[in-house]
Amino acid sequence: MPILKITTEGGATERHFEGAPLLSEVAALVETPCGGKGVCLKCRVRASGAVSAPTRSELDAFNEAELSGGARLACQTRLLGDAEVSFEKDRALRNIETLGEVPPFIPRPMDGRLAVCVDIGTTTVALCVVSLETCEVLSTASEKNPQAIVAADVIGRIEKALNGESGRLKSLIEESIARLTDEAQAKAGLGPEDIDRYVITGNTTMLYLLTGRSPKTLSHAPFDADCLFDMWVKNAYLPACFSAFVGADIVCAVLASGMCERTETSLLIDIGTNGEIALWHRGTLYCCATAAGPAFEGGGICAGTGSIAGAIDSVRAVDGKLEATTIQGERACGICGSGVLDATAALLSLDLLDETGSLCEDQHLRDGIFITQADIRAVQLAKGAIAAGIKTLCSHVGVEFEKIAALFIAGGFGKYLNLKSAVKIGMIPPELKERAIVLGNAALTGAALLSLDKENLPRSRELVKKAVTVPLGGSSEFANNFMELMMLEEM
Amino acid sequence: MSLLNDISTNLQIGKAKVVKELVEQAIAEKIPAKQILEEGLLSGMSVVGEKFKNNEIFVPEVLVAARAMNMGAQLLKPLLAEAGVEASGKVCIGTVKGDLHDIGKNLVKMMLEGKGLEVVDLGTDVSPETFVQTAIDQGCQIICCSALLTTTMGVMADVVKEAERLGVRDKVKIMIGGAPVTDAYCKQIGADAYTADAASAADVAIEYCKGA
Repeated sequence: MPILKITTEGGATERHFEGAPLLSEVAALVETPCGGKGVCLKCRVRASGAVSAPTRSELDAFNEAELSGGARLACQTRLLGDAEVSFEKDRALRNIETLGEVPPFIPRPMDGRLAVCVDIGTTTVALCVVSLETCEVLSTASEKNPQAIVAADVIGRIEKALNGESGRLKSLIEESIARLTDEAQAKAGLGPEDIDRYVITGNTTMLYLLTGRSPKTLSHAPFDADCLFDMWVKNAYLPACFSAFVGADIVCAVLASGMCERTETSLLIDIGTNGEIALWHRGTLYCCATAAGPAFEGGGICAGTGSIAGAIDSVRAVDGKLEATTIQGERACGICGSGVLDATAALLSLDLLDETGSLCEDQHLRDGIFITQADIRAVQLAKGAIAAGIKTLCSHVGVEFEKIAALFIAGGFGKYLNLKSAVKIGMIPPELKERAIVLGNAALTGAALLSLDKENLPRSRELVKKAVTVPLGGSSEFANNFMELMMLEEM
Repeated sequence: MSLLNDISTNLQIGKAKVVKELVEQAIAEKIPAKQILEEGLLSGMSVVGEKFKNNEIFVPEVLVAARAMNMGAQLLKPLLAEAGVEASGKVCIGTVKGDLHDIGKNLVKMMLEGKGLEVVDLGTDVSPETFVQTAIDQGCQIICCSALLTTTMGVMADVVKEAERLGVRDKVKIMIGGAPVTDAYCKQIGADAYTADAASAADVAIEYCKGA
C-alpha cells in the first residue's frame, strides 16, 4: 500500500492510503474554507513524489519558482503512489486554549504512568496528557475534528454512518487522537511512550462513531440510545452519556463545575456546536441540546479560527473605533469565538450594527481581518439557540433567572469570554452576569478528573441517575423563543 | 399608498415595533384590514420570500421578518374575522413520525402564512393517519410533510397511501420537503410536489390553492 510521509514542525508521520485520494484528506488538512475549490489557498503545502499534475487553480496560484519548489494546493492534488508532503502546522500546533483550571481533587488516579484524556467535540477535538504519578496535566493539543470532511454536523454524520461511511468516520477520529497524542507528548518533552489509560468523552453521537456502533437509535424518535457507554474499551474509558442528545461531554463538564455538589440552583451552558444546557434544581439535573452551530468555535465565520496564536480574541469600541487584541499579541490570522462575540457587541455599541442583525458594511478589525454580514447572521443563529434554550429550559422547570445562584460557562472558545458582550447581544440573561464562572473546556477538565480521581466514575454514574433530558425539538415554546431571541438585544 | 409601503419595508428589515405602530395607524385611518394585510404585511413577506429563495438573505433575516409580521398580523386578526375575510387556502403541516426536527417546518409555516394561507401546525412526530384525518376534518387543500432524516422519509410514502385509502387523494395535494428529500423521491412515492426551500414551498402552495 502506498505511503504518504507528512512532515511538520512537530516531526514526521506516515499514512497509508488506497486509490488516488486527495492530498488534503490523507494529510487531514481540514482548513479548507473554500470547500476544496482551490480558491482560498489555505491548504498550501510542499509536495513531491507520485502526485497528479498541477491544476489550473494551482498554476494560477503559484509562480514558476514556487511550482518547481514543489508548491501545491492540497485540495487540488491527488496521490498516485508513494509521496511526501510538508507544511507548517504552525497555527494548529501553537494551540493554547483547551483546559481551564482543574478544580481541587483527591488524587486517587487510575493505574499507570500516563493517561491521555480527550474531548471529541463535533467541531474541535481537544486532548491532554496527564501524569498519573504526579497527578498533573502535562500538555494539551487540539485540532478541528476531521470528520467534518464527511459531514459538518451531528445529523449529517449520523446519516453518513448509516449509509456506509461508519468505517471512515471511525478511522478519521482514531487518527486524529493518535496525531494529537503525538503532538501533546512532544510538547511535554516525552518520547513516544506508551499510554496506559485513555479517557475519551464527547457527545453521544461522537462516541458511537468512535466505537463504530450503528447510530440507528439516535436517528429517529423516540431517540432512545441503545448504548449510553460508561464502559472500558481495552484501556480506554468512555464515560456515561445522559441521553441520545446530551452526552458524556456534558457529564464531564458538570463534574468539573462541581455544580451538583451544591444545593443551590445553578445553570451550565456549553457554548459549542450543540449548545447543551444543564439546570440543577432541587436534586434533579435537567438537560437539553440546542444545535447552536459552530460560530463560537470560529466555524461558519469567514475569518473564523479556533483559539490559536494570532486569533482575535477581544474587540472593544474605543473613541468610536474598533480595537482588537489577539492571542499572544501576534499578527491577526483570524477571529476566534470570544472575538466574534466581542465584535458583535462592539459593533452594536457603535451603531454600525442594529438589533435586527443588519450590518451596514463589512468591518475591518485589524491586520486585514474583517467581520462580515454573513458572520453576524451565524452569530444570531448560535446565540438565538443558546438564549432560547436557557429561556425554555428555565420556564419548563419553573425557575426564574433571578433564582439561579451560579452560571457555569463551558466551551472551547478560549479561557476568556467577555460576559458584558454576552449580555449585550442577548446570549445570557443580564441577571446572571455577576454570577457567571467561565470554565473553558470543562468537558476535557472533567475527563482529566476521571483519570486523576477514580471516585469520579461512580460520581458520574450518580449524576446520570439524577438527570432528565428535556427535548426541545417539537417544542413550540422553543421555536417561538428562538425567533424572538434572534434579535441582538438584552434578554 | 405610502403608509402600507412603509409597513412592507419595515417588515422586510424586521422592525417589529415600527410595523406594529404603523399597522395601528393604518387601522386608525380606517384602511380596510384586508388591504393592510395584503399591501402591507404580505407584500413585505413576499419580498422576503424571493430574497430567501435567491440566497440573498438567510434564516435569521426570515425569522426576524416573520416576527415583525406576527406583531402586525395579531392586530388585524379580529378585524379580518369581523369583516368575514377568509384565508386564500388552508394547509396542514408537520414533521413526520419518528422525527423531531422542526426548524425547517416552522420556516415553511411562516412563508405559507406570509402568502395569506391558514396553517394548521401538527408539530412533530406526526403519523400518516393524523395528517390525512386533519386535512379531512379541517378542510385543508394541502398536506405538507417535512423530514430531516433518511430513516424517517419513508413515512411520506405512507401519507400518500393513507390519503388514497381514505379516498381523498384527488382532493388534497401532498407536498414534501426536508434535507434528504428529493424530487425523484417525490415522484417515486406519488406525492404532488417537492420543494427545496420554504419560499418555493409557499409559491407552489398558493398556486395549488388558487387552482383548487
